[in-house]
Amino acid sequence: MSRFSRRDFLLTTAGVVLASRLGSSAALAATPKRGGTLIGTWGGFEPQSLFVPAGGGSSPYFTSTKVVERLLRLTVDLKFEPVLALSVTPAPDFRSYTIKLRDKVTWHDGKPFSADDVVFNAMEYWKPISAGVSLVTLEAAEAVDPLTVVLKFKAPVPEFFLKSVLSGKAGLVIPKHIYAGSNIITNPINNTPIGTGPFKVKEWVRGSHVEYARNESYWNPGLPYLDKLVIRWWRDPASRSAAFEAGQLDIGTFNPIPYPEIARLTAGGKFIAETKGYANSAWIATVEFNQRREIFKKREVRQALMMAIDREFISETIFFGRAKPSVGVVHNSNSIFFTKDVQAYPFDVKKAASMLDAAGYPVKGGSRFKLSLVSAGWFEENVKMGQYVKQAFEDLDITVDLAVPDRATSLKRIYTDYDYDVAISNNTGGVELVPTTTQYYTTDGIVKGAAFRNATGYSNPELDKIVASMTVETDEPKRIALAKEFDRLATSEAPILPMVDLEPVTIVRSDVRDHSKTADFMGESWAELWLDR
Amino acid sequence: MRRIIIRRLLQIIPLILGVIVLNFMLIHLAPGSLFDVMTSEQQVTDPAMLDQLRHTYGVDQPTSVQLAKYIWSVMRLDLGFSYRQNAPVLDVILEQLPSTVILMLSATGIALLVGITAGVLASVKVNTIWDNLISLGAVFFFAAPSFWLGIMMTVLFAVKLGWFPVGGMRTIGSDQGTFGDALDVMHHLVLPATALGLFYAATYARVMRASMLEVFRLDFVRTARAKGLSRSRVVISHVMRNALLPIVTLLGLQLGTILGGSVVIEAVFSWPGIGSLLFDSVMSRNFPMVLGVLVLGSLLVAVSNAAVDLIYLRLDPRIRAR
Repeated sequence: MSRFSRRDFLLTTAGVVLASRLGSSAALAATPKRGGTLIGTWGGFEPQSLFVPAGGGSSPYFTSTKVVERLLRLTVDLKFEPVLALSVTPAPDFRSYTIKLRDKVTWHDGKPFSADDVVFNAMEYWKPISAGVSLVTLEAAEAVDPLTVVLKFKAPVPEFFLKSVLSGKAGLVIPKHIYAGSNIITNPINNTPIGTGPFKVKEWVRGSHVEYARNESYWNPGLPYLDKLVIRWWRDPASRSAAFEAGQLDIGTFNPIPYPEIARLTAGGKFIAETKGYANSAWIATVEFNQRREIFKKREVRQALMMAIDREFISETIFFGRAKPSVGVVHNSNSIFFTKDVQAYPFDVKKAASMLDAAGYPVKGGSRFKLSLVSAGWFEENVKMGQYVKQAFEDLDITVDLAVPDRATSLKRIYTDYDYDVAISNNTGGVELVPTTTQYYTTDGIVKGAAFRNATGYSNPELDKIVASMTVETDEPKRIALAKEFDRLATSEAPILPMVDLEPVTIVRSDVRDHSKTADFMGESWAELWLDR
Repeated sequence: MRRIIIRRLLQIIPLILGVIVLNFMLIHLAPGSLFDVMTSEQQVTDPAMLDQLRHTYGVDQPTSVQLAKYIWSVMRLDLGFSYRQNAPVLDVILEQLPSTVILMLSATGIALLVGITAGVLASVKVNTIWDNLISLGAVFFFAAPSFWLGIMMTVLFAVKLGWFPVGGMRTIGSDQGTFGDALDVMHHLVLPATALGLFYAATYARVMRASMLEVFRLDFVRTARAKGLSRSRVVISHVMRNALLPIVTLLGLQLGTILGGSVVIEAVFSWPGIGSLLFDSVMSRNFPMVLGVLVLGSLLVAVSNAAVDLIYLRLDPRIRAR
């Protein structure tokens, strides 16, 4: 038996005391404090309108979601939590869903929120405007009682799919009594939206900021913790960095400051760089091949070009380590559908050259062939990627004509005119792959003029069939298996080469608590954020 | 005098018409359209919805019809509706125009004050250390890009010294009364107005110095001195007044470029003016908003130029005599 010495006793006692003190301070730190003003921003521009019902990009989504809520939300560990709905339950045949709503919820103007609002949203807003093809099988919505709605579908709808729609960008719930009978897209109320959310719009000074006040009648008593929320706009990332340093910003989402500034700003411990909270709006940088060009109809050519690109270099040099080399077509943050079991494309210029030789494109007169490379100018990193990819292809003796047009021109050249051979673009999608991710590859994703869809013209009946099965498969394990099959096929076919999975960063003061707890933090209500000051 | 004013105001009409037609054509010649940008943001994929939006935004009509409709609406003082902002163009511009006007006027004031003072000092102390320092400063501020100058001033005066705010036009949520709010705006204005104004101050200093030295050599200056007037009186009342004429000319010419320069400064300092609005609108091909800003901007510059002409008349009696 070992002897318990005086030294051991002292150490144990000290340890117990220290642990209890640490525990109590941690408990104290975890107790939210009410009050204060949080000033936030994001890495983009001012919204064109505070709420754009049909979407409108990240900026109005950021500003509207503090006011307008959804039925559900997706947590950072990819579990659905109730917001305005207490439950969403499928019928045994998955052709209808019963939604139980939260009681005693009021709109900002004091009117009660009820099942009629959800019916109106389902049939007049989500289906025709915001959700698009996601709710194409929605047949009817019925209010069974003031707090119960039944959604009926023409075909079985997977539970994860429907809950993703209801918790996603398309599932914002707008007031029927304001929008009924009007054009939802152009209703003037969109510039001062009304919702059920924790914050009310107090003032919007165009070009400067939007100020929100606490909704004192919020359905969740005690929330929000903040007295006031202010979202400010700085067009210049370096100025945002200075604003953080000067104490004029508390939080900034989606890469608010230049990548090289992150290490410097977070070095002192006053700020944190948080990467959680972006799984449901994941971005991938891609190289896309126009299948309307004879050369790129050959899979071997696409695969060879994939091997000519050093994705580690792109990750480390262009994104300063804030991106990971892509494995397949599904973002690595998607812990449900992501798989490593896909064809790998290791960087190997010699093998790429021999594959091109074998595909019938040997070097003739100093060049294998000529291509036009369009690098979409909406992200600064795309410009640098364009320059790198040009050099990488030139190392294979391919003549490259690089163009880096601005956003509007890029959209037209890539998605409307298909005026490119190879495009550097970006895919964005949620955790649910249908349709946001799948539409880049499926035949029904080819819609002239529709951006961020299948611009390559790639069409493969086998892949279409897998995705069609995913849209109706209600057994989740089988559905996940189908998704992985889709990933394997899309990666081996390589109509689009996923280069790097972007890892957006939230810069936040260390005394701002309970942030980044959902899979789409930027589009969260921020009711639970509090200041530990 | 009245005839001159009427003539100058009438000249504005063809100018505005030219601005509309030229910029309308330029925007429509540029690849991409507001429709492309908005449908991409909204991720519209349904072909029927795309057609509906084309009709809503009016882009399903021929360009000539769109132009004719636009000119007709401007003639009725209606600058159109911006679907991107979901608001009438005039409302959005009028919300942000005052901020830009304040910035432009302040920058112009700083430019004139600093430029003229430095130019006079350099000419009076010609070929001394003062002259050399002012010339060096003028070259520096003329060469320094205004966005870089803005960021450097922010780092030094806002981040390191904490004297001024990093950006914005006023302290959000503060209500300090009319006088207090005015002081607050002035506090926020110092850095952006200085960053914008110093470039023009450098130009004015160089021109003023050269102009002063030229006037110094004229006979009437020698006569004034021979009559026993003090050096300072000669400099201020005789030389400066004559040397100011090129500055006034420059001022009129540069009002348009100050408006352009404000685009950059507004971005750096998050100043809520029409510069950022114009930039966003050009990037999104939001032609009703671009044209609205340009029409009002041209109007502003044209009216300012007319005012400058009147100042010119006041300063130079020879023009009045003609």
